[in-house]
Amino acid sequence: MTVERTVTIVPEAGLHARPASAFVQAVNDHEAEVSAGRPDGDLVQAASMIAVTSLGVGQDDDIKLVADGPDAEAVLDELERILTTPEAELDTDDG
Amino acid sequence: MAERTLHGTGATPRSGVGSVVWYGRDISLLDPDGVEVDPETEIERFADAVDTARTELESEREATAERVGEDEAAVFDAHIQFLEDPTIEDSVETMVGEGLPAPNAVDAAFGEHIEQFEGMDGRMAERADDLRDVRDRLLRLLTDGERVDLGDLPEGSVVLAERLTPSDTAQLDPERVAGFATVTGGRTSHAAIFARSLALPAVVGVGDALESVEGEEEVVIDGDSGEVVVSPDDTERAAAASDSGAAVVDESVETTDGRHVEVAANIGQPAELDPAAERGADGVGLYRTEFLFLDRETPPSEDEQYEAVREALDTFPDGRVVVRTLDIGGDKRISYLDLPEEENPFLGERGIRRSLAPDSDLFATQLRALLRAGADGAGDLAIMFPLVATVEELDAALDTLDAAAVDVEGRDADAVDPEVGVMVETPSAAFMADELAARVDFLSIGTNDLTQYVMAADRENERVDDLHDPTHPGVLRAIHRTVTAAHAEDAWVGMCGEMAGDPALTELLVGLGLDELSMSAVTIPEVKTAVSETEYSAASERGDRARLAATRSEVHTTVDT
Repeated sequence: MTVERTVTIVPEAGLHARPASAFVQAVNDHEAEVSAGRPDGDLVQAASMIAVTSLGVGQDDDIKLVADGPDAEAVLDELERILTTPEAELDTDDG
Repeated sequence: MAERTLHGTGATPRSGVGSVVWYGRDISLLDPDGVEVDPETEIERFADAVDTARTELESEREATAERVGEDEAAVFDAHIQFLEDPTIEDSVETMVGEGLPAPNAVDAAFGEHIEQFEGMDGRMAERADDLRDVRDRLLRLLTDGERVDLGDLPEGSVVLAERLTPSDTAQLDPERVAGFATVTGGRTSHAAIFARSLALPAVVGVGDALESVEGEEEVVIDGDSGEVVVSPDDTERAAAASDSGAAVVDESVETTDGRHVEVAANIGQPAELDPAAERGADGVGLYRTEFLFLDRETPPSEDEQYEAVREALDTFPDGRVVVRTLDIGGDKRISYLDLPEEENPFLGERGIRRSLAPDSDLFATQLRALLRAGADGAGDLAIMFPLVATVEELDAALDTLDAAAVDVEGRDADAVDPEVGVMVETPSAAFMADELAARVDFLSIGTNDLTQYVMAADRENERVDDLHDPTHPGVLRAIHRTVTAAHAEDAWVGMCGEMAGDPALTELLVGLGLDELSMSAVTIPEVKTAVSETEYSAASERGDRARLAATRSEVHTTVDT
């Protein structure tokens, strides 16, 4: 099942540094193929730190997420949580 | 070789002297032409190198989290993710399949993305450094490259390098390394931030001139001036060698017998916030708001003030930020206010005196901005009124604060219920400390003005310099009286004058019962260390002897022995 969602980015750093780490980690922790990109642009592999970082999306930008697989809904919920949590309050599970 | 000086950017306000060790990574890649490659073996070598690199990164992450802090360690998470990036893995596998040896494939796969990130600005460009770091780690593992072991350098080494990555700096032992200098990098580069958090003397961005320095030459690293002095003379060497700054202590500190003392920063400009946090401040003990009002034609709006205070609160999410309300008058001139010409401005209309009458509109606006920022900002807001001399002034200020809270709530905005305090600068406030403390949460002693007023000695007049000294027993008794009176009313007491930042006086101040010391950021590490080495019970006895002394020299004898 393919699901799609567009989220506005809250962390001040945008999709960089800690939010980006948490984002990629979450993708890898779920059973789903996830791609991400600007709403009007090409989608990239969300499991790739390089690809995600080079999107260059910042605070208040929209990002489109597309997931396919058994965990599709769950992974989008988790990604939305990461992208809408101010960085100071972000808990990374792997820390 | 003759003495010469190279210029870069100082990363840490510390100096060190030592003998040069060049840290390079001499990784030479084979020319892939004509090399027979078994793709399966190469893929396996690559996978093994990734496994080993991951293990290394995880242990460096742990060591850094323990030694420096969780924030600094987070960079290793990013490195692990770059290491495991499927894009890299795919292109390495493709290139190996086409007959490239693993090291060449790794170099090419990373090279493409490094170039891509270097072309972007700001934070993105920093990612190029991270990728380089991960690439070099893999290449070292794949080529059995030898490199200087940064964790095992002779004592007194000064490390020179093209650049130092986070993994490099994490290995540096500040006990053994006297400092470092790099060809590239700026004040906010990873290396510079690491250096500051370890109080390691460092100069970054020296440029190619650094390459002219030979191994084993003696150099001084002056992180204050941003200079690297090659073949220093005896005076420079001695000055640098004696500058042994304390390492930054991020945690809050207590005395050996468990009395907690907060160590905070005095801030006069937003640009000082991050450096203060980097030097381990628990919070802000004095946020001077005058910068918002100076050098402009009209007063700042409520929103502008809100943003400025919000920034401070967000810089110290787990700490307290004590904001002093506008302290105008005295020597501070502001064009859009009708400030009177006064015979004795320091004894005139300044501080709370102006806020209650001629500047009451400004005062109300500022209080509304503070209450809103306190509700939205991450840290805990405290509000402090300057130059209070009477209970009437304090009551009037508290009424204005209540009215401001009603205004904010009337707009359906959130207002915080902050801690409120009085700055003790006038002898009257010290005498009235019990009555003042009964009405507020804390008192904060401004020793610069308190000394000036208790001793009747102008702080700018060199001829009475000797009198303007807070270790005169008269000042110590005013401090002691204030602390005792406040504690009896369950109010805490801080100190935000220069005196608080002198590590030689820390034991005395802890002994006098101060709960918080706030100072310019630079001596925070020394003061935190001094607090944690103080035994409160002994300091308290010493504090009693000091305040009961009859002369300043007796005070000094008590403090020094």
